[in-house]
Amino acid sequence: MAVQTSPATQQSAVLVSTDWVAQHLTDPAIRIVEVDVDTKAYGEGHVPNAVGWAWDTQLCDTVRRDIIPKAKFEQLMGQSGIDNTTTVILYGDNNNWFAAWALWQLKIYGHKDVRLMNGGRKKWIAESRELSTDTPKAATKSYQAKDPDYSIRAFLPDVQKASAERSAQLVDVRSPQEYSGEILAPPGLPETCQRGGHIPGAKSIPWGKACNEDGTFKSIEELRALYGGSGITGEKPVVAYCRIGERSSHTWFVLKYLLNYKNVRNYDGSWTEWGNLVAAPVEKP
Amino acid sequence: MPKPEEYSERKGELAGWAINIVTYRLGATYHTTIDNTDPGAWVVKAEAATKQDAEAKAMKEAQALLEKVKKSKPPTGCTSVPGF
Repeated sequence: MAVQTSPATQQSAVLVSTDWVAQHLTDPAIRIVEVDVDTKAYGEGHVPNAVGWAWDTQLCDTVRRDIIPKAKFEQLMGQSGIDNTTTVILYGDNNNWFAAWALWQLKIYGHKDVRLMNGGRKKWIAESRELSTDTPKAATKSYQAKDPDYSIRAFLPDVQKASAERSAQLVDVRSPQEYSGEILAPPGLPETCQRGGHIPGAKSIPWGKACNEDGTFKSIEELRALYGGSGITGEKPVVAYCRIGERSSHTWFVLKYLLNYKNVRNYDGSWTEWGNLVAAPVEKP
Repeated sequence: MPKPEEYSERKGELAGWAINIVTYRLGATYHTTIDNTDPGAWVVKAEAATKQDAEAKAMKEAQALLEKVKKSKPPTGCTSVPGF
């Protein structure tokens, strides 16, 4: 069994509260960034001094399907006033779906200190905290990304092997209706597929089960019971997937940083890759 | 800087989908977001001068959209619909 450090210690390094953010709004060592599913949300009002990133144009390769290229990532970080020593605080709507997606990419490119605001945009608004519509003018900084660390990213061959040989545990974090194949995509989300169902061998643990009603993460004990109850204990490699990789980033974050599992990867190809793949095996309950 | 006020959240059902309705006031405008509770993705947003109007507008739009979501019976293929 892998040696694990205290989850509480890990949690403090990757999660901050809304109170903490409110006390650090003008801290020059910190850059707050909002990343939403709804890319218009930032403009309607955001945490003061936060910059906004659009997941569909700024956090991806806009030509081929891929994460943001290294050079563009460096440019985005620098233009956002972020250098290699900046503490980046990410938050967003839908309980931090795409904030977690952004965090995953920052980790791929080796950013040292990046954290989520626990509860995301929802909690900030529910607590009646100030919203700004001003876009902060960040002084451009120099940023050097590391070569991508793909030990936290699963590609199709990895997942095919995991499914066929059970060499890693697959966690399907979509809704039960997507897992069963009853629907191909949730209402309101356009990216879909040709077949419904799930990757053979995958366990269904919807991402939202890791959250409290206020959008914050459940306690370490509750999370351990949630995943452990389905046999996801961290003793074997884990691959999380959803539809396009953002909900699974959320679960990846939980497993990697809250439960401190050592070998966890996010399969960002997810169901929009697998469910469109000719001759791919599909399991349906 | 304005603060969101009168935050409210409640669950309901619309066109066979469990939904979550969030409304708050920012300045003189009420903002309503409706999401489907699982997976939690937002479906519609609406604004109005009163809470009742914002929620009614959002509910009307959400109903129209959610009614179009078809349940898949493969191999019928893709079920995406215009507007989604």
